Amino acid sequence: MASQHIVSSFDHDLEALQARVVKMGGLVETAIRNALTALETRDLRLGQAVRDGDRVIDRMDEEIKSDAALVLARRAPAAGDLRTVLAVMTMATHLERCGDYAKNIAKRTTVLAETAQSADILSALRRMARAVEEMLSDALDAYIQRDLDKAEAVRARDLDVDQMYTALFRALLTHMMEDPRSITPAMHLHFIAKNIERMGDHATSIAEQTIYVITGEMPDDDRPKGDRTALENDDSGPP
Amino acid sequence: MYDLKKPEHDVDQAKTKISARGVQVFYGDTQAIKDVNVEIADKTVTSFIGPSGCGKSTFLRCINRMNDTIDICRVEGEITIDGHDIYAPDVDPVQLRAKVGMVFQKPNPFPKSIYDNVAYGPRIHGMTRNKAELDEVVETALRGAGLWNEVKDRLDTPGTGLSGGQQQRLCIARAVATQPEVLLMDEPCSALDPIATALIEDLIDDLKQQFSVVIVTHSMQQAARISQKTAFFHLGNLVEYGDTDTIFTNPRDERTENYITGRTG
Repeated sequence: MASQHIVSSFDHDLEALQARVVKMGGLVETAIRNALTALETRDLRLGQAVRDGDRVIDRMDEEIKSDAALVLARRAPAAGDLRTVLAVMTMATHLERCGDYAKNIAKRTTVLAETAQSADILSALRRMARAVEEMLSDALDAYIQRDLDKAEAVRARDLDVDQMYTALFRALLTHMMEDPRSITPAMHLHFIAKNIERMGDHATSIAEQTIYVITGEMPDDDRPKGDRTALENDDSGPP
Repeated sequence: MYDLKKPEHDVDQAKTKISARGVQVFYGDTQAIKDVNVEIADKTVTSFIGPSGCGKSTFLRCINRMNDTIDICRVEGEITIDGHDIYAPDVDPVQLRAKVGMVFQKPNPFPKSIYDNVAYGPRIHGMTRNKAELDEVVETALRGAGLWNEVKDRLDTPGTGLSGGQQQRLCIARAVATQPEVLLMDEPCSALDPIATALIEDLIDDLKQQFSVVIVTHSMQQAARISQKTAFFHLGNLVEYGDTDTIFTNPRDERTENYITGRTG
């Protein structure tokens, strides 16, 4: 919003709130990247660092919520300001969930580090995580720049992530059918894939909050969905 | 659970009470209102918001021809209530004001007893035949204004002896005693503390069951709390008019957004 509030401390409050959610987003992106690196390089210390780091992300979520509550109480924001505060609170919740997923991936790294994993699966996970990380980063950029096209683009990209997940799901299923000893690690890898896919959904929700802030309306739920595993009735369906 | 959307739903059913078409108001050579067109619904609270000097009070005062009392003021265009032109030559402004009551910013009870304050309107309009009927009208009006229990044992004491909030409710009782169809309120709570304000707001919510309430307020929160429709005035123009929930969450016009969010335009 170009023009400024007559009460300049209101501008400051809103800027501080938004800066904090962007910083939180940065921490979550790093957590996703590090969790995947820890998985690939079987780096247990890095995995532990991701798990410890989630506490910081959780605390930022709490701080954003309490700061937002103060802005609501003090300023009684309306219109675009109200949407901004509501969106920041919702975005913090989505980022906090992403942090939890990254932490969960790091946890599974401990079990998976005991044996070598298929390079194909690992690189597919890496690609998927990279895509989600970029979605998150672009969703937050779109928010800060109030860029409607960019937010819409992030929303559209969730389809790619869903398709990557479906492909990975099939690949893991094949591994498990071929070699029952791979079931335990494959299940862990599947949960990791699912976690990344869920993070994509959260990034999409953040983009949708951006659309809400800009237009005042939530976008229709008509974007294409790529994860069809739950709809299929054949043997390849999920457990 | 209460349905928060319900008041808005009810508004859609309400029929138009006041209709303004091409209203322009001039104070001498200065134009205070520029071509205002608006339909105000019956049994609804409509709030007029906007910065000082935007014309909202001037427009409010057109609805009961209070501007007639200002010599240099000229009103053009058409304002109808239930389809009748209130500026038609055969309309008696005094009768009109009995039907379109008004409450002002500063409580202004007459220097008379509480009873006489409320009985004044019904008396001059000859609405009652005897003392018993008048007593009943006074009690109903005071109950309607939520003041009865506080004053029933001292009806003969001066109205000016009440607290500010009580005086304002007395003025509301005085306005509703003539059984109006429209109640105009010009910043009725700006001189009141939060408790007295809450009482008046609660009262306004009840009053809208009976008639159309139009309120000018500088408190954005008050407009958002009590009204179902909001009109934003700026420099004599009616910039935006619509459902209160839309105006306060997603206004269409940038001037409205700047005003309600406290920005310099």
